[in-house]
Amino acid sequence: MLVYTARRLAVAIPVLLAASVLVFLMVDLSGDPLSDLRMQQPPPSEEVIAAAEARYYLDRSIPERYWLWMTGIGGNGDIGLLQGQFGPSVRGGAFDIGEELSDSIYVTIRLVTAAIIAALGLAVLSGVVSAMRQYSKLDYTLTFIGFLALAMPTFWLGALIKEGGLWFNQTTGTGFFFTIGANSARVSNMTGWEYFLDSAGHLVLPTITLMLTSFAAWSRYQRTSMLEVLNSDYVRLARAKGVPNRVVVRRHALRTALIPLVTVATIGVVGIIEGVVITETIFQWRGLGYFFIEAVKAQDAFAIMSWLMLSGTLVVLANLVADILYGVLDPRIRYE
Amino acid sequence: MQIRRKMLGAAAVGVSAVLAVSACSPPEDGAGGGDATSVTWIISQPGSAWNHNTPEGGSVYLIQMVHGILPVPGYWSPEGQWEWNTDLIVNEPTLSEEDPLSWTYEINPDANWSDGEPITADDFIWAWKMNSGDDELCAEQCNSRGATLETLFESVEGSEDGKTVTVTMKEGSQHPGWFTFAGDGLYPSHVAEAEGFDLDTPEGMLESSNYFNDNPLTISGAQYIFDGAPELDGRIVKVANEEYYGEQPEIQEIILEVNTEESSWVAALTNGEVQGSSPATWSDDVLTQLESLENVEYGVQSGGSWEHLDLNTQNEALSDVALRQAIFTAIDVENIATRTYGEKFPEVEPRTNHVFSTTSEFHEDVITPTGQGAGDADAAMEILEEAGYELDGESLTLDGEAVPALRLRYTAGHVAREIIAELIQADLAEIGVTAEIETTDDLGGTLFEADYDLMIFGWSTTPDFYSSPHQYWFSESGSNFGGYSNDEVDELVEAAMNVPSPEESAVLANEAAAIVAEEAYVLPIVDTPAYFFYDTTYLGNVTDNNSQSRRALWNQHEWAAVE
Amino acid sequence: MSEMQSRVATADGPPDGPAKPVNKGGDLTQIQIIWRRFRRHRAAMISLVLLGLIVAFAFLGPLVWPWGYTVDSDIPSNAGPSLEHPFGTTKQGTDVFAQTMRGAQQSLKVALTVAIVSTVVGATWGAVAGYYRGRTDAIMMRIADIFLIIPLIVAVASINGAVRGGTTWYAVALIMCLFSWATVARVVRGVVLSLREQEFIEAARAAGARATRIIFRHLLPNAAGPIIVAATLLIAVAVLTEAGLSFIGFGIQPPDISLGKMVESARTAAFTRPWLFYPPGVLIVLICLTINFIGDGLRDALDPRQTMVRR
Repeated sequence: MLVYTARRLAVAIPVLLAASVLVFLMVDLSGDPLSDLRMQQPPPSEEVIAAAEARYYLDRSIPERYWLWMTGIGGNGDIGLLQGQFGPSVRGGAFDIGEELSDSIYVTIRLVTAAIIAALGLAVLSGVVSAMRQYSKLDYTLTFIGFLALAMPTFWLGALIKEGGLWFNQTTGTGFFFTIGANSARVSNMTGWEYFLDSAGHLVLPTITLMLTSFAAWSRYQRTSMLEVLNSDYVRLARAKGVPNRVVVRRHALRTALIPLVTVATIGVVGIIEGVVITETIFQWRGLGYFFIEAVKAQDAFAIMSWLMLSGTLVVLANLVADILYGVLDPRIRYE
Repeated sequence: MQIRRKMLGAAAVGVSAVLAVSACSPPEDGAGGGDATSVTWIISQPGSAWNHNTPEGGSVYLIQMVHGILPVPGYWSPEGQWEWNTDLIVNEPTLSEEDPLSWTYEINPDANWSDGEPITADDFIWAWKMNSGDDELCAEQCNSRGATLETLFESVEGSEDGKTVTVTMKEGSQHPGWFTFAGDGLYPSHVAEAEGFDLDTPEGMLESSNYFNDNPLTISGAQYIFDGAPELDGRIVKVANEEYYGEQPEIQEIILEVNTEESSWVAALTNGEVQGSSPATWSDDVLTQLESLENVEYGVQSGGSWEHLDLNTQNEALSDVALRQAIFTAIDVENIATRTYGEKFPEVEPRTNHVFSTTSEFHEDVITPTGQGAGDADAAMEILEEAGYELDGESLTLDGEAVPALRLRYTAGHVAREIIAELIQADLAEIGVTAEIETTDDLGGTLFEADYDLMIFGWSTTPDFYSSPHQYWFSESGSNFGGYSNDEVDELVEAAMNVPSPEESAVLANEAAAIVAEEAYVLPIVDTPAYFFYDTTYLGNVTDNNSQSRRALWNQHEWAAVE
Repeated sequence: MSEMQSRVATADGPPDGPAKPVNKGGDLTQIQIIWRRFRRHRAAMISLVLLGLIVAFAFLGPLVWPWGYTVDSDIPSNAGPSLEHPFGTTKQGTDVFAQTMRGAQQSLKVALTVAIVSTVVGATWGAVAGYYRGRTDAIMMRIADIFLIIPLIVAVASINGAVRGGTTWYAVALIMCLFSWATVARVVRGVVLSLREQEFIEAARAAGARATRIIFRHLLPNAAGPIIVAATLLIAVAVLTEAGLSFIGFGIQPPDISLGKMVESARTAAFTRPWLFYPPGVLIVLICLTINFIGDGLRDALDPRQTMVRR
């Protein structure tokens, strides 16, 4: 297993590198990050523009820039991924890419964790119920809800959910749900309970928005694998032997049927990255999604690259973990 | 509950706002849980850097963020008049009569930074060096975003313990906007010195410029001070500066929240999460939603920028003045103004001068006399036929050759420009000119490469207009994207920057504008209106100020808290 | 339907010798079998009819509808729904009904292009990789991995400015293809890996068939079931992705239009001018919903493993 993991990682590194080259090229070709600077009124002097080009390494060729970004050799000490430097942001020195990225991770991780837990829990529940009551009204309803959630654009859904939250606030006369941001400004004065309520109030609506797509996909998956197991010989055997239905479902069927879901969900984390970009825009969270959008708007090459390396690594790790989990959970699979 | 007004109607608004406020019910419990002296205000875009003198920092958003932290010698009133900040400057600076020109500031002796250090001439000297564009004062020009005024200074000197500042201009130099020096705010030079930068060396100045760019101030020289770690792309908390040397503000805490998602504003407002904004963008829908809200006051007025259509004179077909005049004559600007902003701002008018909006005291209509913007296809055809063009079926020909299709471009996603482009396309079709609409994602790049035949974009208007004509039309100017060149205009626009008063400058600017209009280079279309809104259950005495980048925040220290 | 029947139809070759499981003579009956099975899936059938109507609305509608999708000075500004303009009008003076037809057309064009191109490229790529195995497979799949690592939304957003002259539907479609073929490649490779070990392939190889022939005549047709299902679902994914891209400002740009772009432009209008916000959104939901149901039906009809479960 260790050898397998090491080998997989060794293969992943060149893939990640190639992906970074590709994105670096795309970002570089997508335009001049200093065009806003040149557009300013009154226009800055040539000298200031030249200094900016040097500061952001825009006076170097593309291969040189990539080399600098990766190694930092020949740079001004503020660049070089291998040295732990993310490079200068074209938005100026106040924007420290490394620092901003870690702040964003902290914000986003809350949202993503909540969404994954909620989506998994609900998916298992509705998948199992659907499978147990196959072709019942309940099954059809759950199936339809799943399909509907899969068919909704995230931003459209988000707008509707936000309205739902507002409607709740107005009808109950409370201020439980918040529609923008991850927390209120004044968290330092709050007691633990107030802080919890504030966080929860901010978290609920975006979590629902983010989890629905994953929930829909996963519940379909769970239903299928549950049906498969319920129709398998050994479950039939258990039933024939007179094991009570509840025990069959919980001990025999569910446990086996969870295996595919675990792997699918691990890989599905990747899909959530895209959802995060949109959800964070609707609810104005200052997380990874916002980080990315603003980086693209500013054509901030090094910020986009850092973001990509993070999400790329996450994808590679998720795939690896999925494969390993599959092996751990299903002893029939052996790794060469 | 709505107020519409032009810039000159500000006084009336002040009164009606107070009336409206007194009629309002007290804030409901539980809605957001904010207390009356804490206000959350939306900023529609993030800032990038902390020094407003640099290209990264020089955005209206940053100027709004550092407003109330940096002391200012003076400011533009909503009516476009310059007023001195009497908390800081105790005299009324006037320009000396004889060459070299000079003026003097007398700083309030009690005016201190919040750390107890006095605000002195050194801070003015820093502001001058920063923007001097002089390599002997500032290495790499201190990464200044560029200024014309400060480059004309011979010296800035302090006397009386630095509490008197004398600014002397270079011999023979003059500038109509001399009084605007340091108008966006002074930085504390003693903080830079404490960081170990030698401000008498060019390198030390550059380092200090970068330092102020990278770090928010921890002290303040005005009514408010940052609390905690302010974030340029997130949330900034400003609390009242207890060490302030003037009157204390009534609102104790102003939280600025960057929110780029227009569609979330009204929801957050009704949910009590924010109390107002003066956004830089325009949205009919936000205004429609505001109309239906109780306890919300809002207003619309002509804003800080104007839309126009530029022609690329390097295009062979467009090098012909007759074709250019015909194109401008065929465009119905009135209709464009109504369709873009008329529904929510019926007072909208076509813009008829490149430099001044109709509300400016210097405004002269230079467009209407030329017949341009009238949407008169017949008149346009007359001009064309006189110049030898013929309408062959649906397309225009010159000497048997068809006039080529023109590429009409604008920034992708800009709603108003999309409307303008589509209407222009329809108008031009009537005189047989085909306009092909193409959007751009990179406005700056498109303009610099002059990668267009017709271009719709905006310039910002400030009361500080003196160098604008030079930027727009001077043949060597980097912002004269369409390659216009006229010796007479060159002379006029240079002269407009080199006179001692705004009045004289305006005369020259208007003369230049009239020539440019006659030669049909740029067609002014419309002043972009701007709106602001606030929750009257929290706030009172809020007015917008389109003469300043700070917008409605401009008098935040005078805002009234509602109990 | 019996389990046996479905197995014969798709995955396993006939037990006896090198006979091709898909041949010209067998095509008709096979399609009939699939069709019969598909028809039993009621939701899928309803969806098929509905989708057909939407496609007709998008492609034939503009031919008969009196208004174009561009600005017309005869159209009032910001009017609510009326007989003349069933979905109202925009501020610019365009007929939203005509825009919705045009938007649906462009969205479907993008989605179909993405589905077809990435399926063709991805299926070929995956089949070749799976057929050769070993080093070829490793290299080809690592190349595919490069495109899987980069989230599509990220790729399109970062490349945005590079599309000169505005972002048209085919520019968006092509970039989306570039980053979605790899998913198909992975699925097809998996199927081919198991197929290639089966007797009819071995027999074809023994009979001296060349690699290209085996891949295109034997392997791909037998992997058709999963490929068709994947392609169908890709249409829905592409419609949603295009909409998402529009929302964050990186999709199709005016004067071109799409359903996503329409909802994006109307994002502040949900309460003030609902006729701008709801029709394109509902249409997106309808397209994706029907396609998902059709995909489900196809899976039942084509994929024996699934059929085993859904009896």
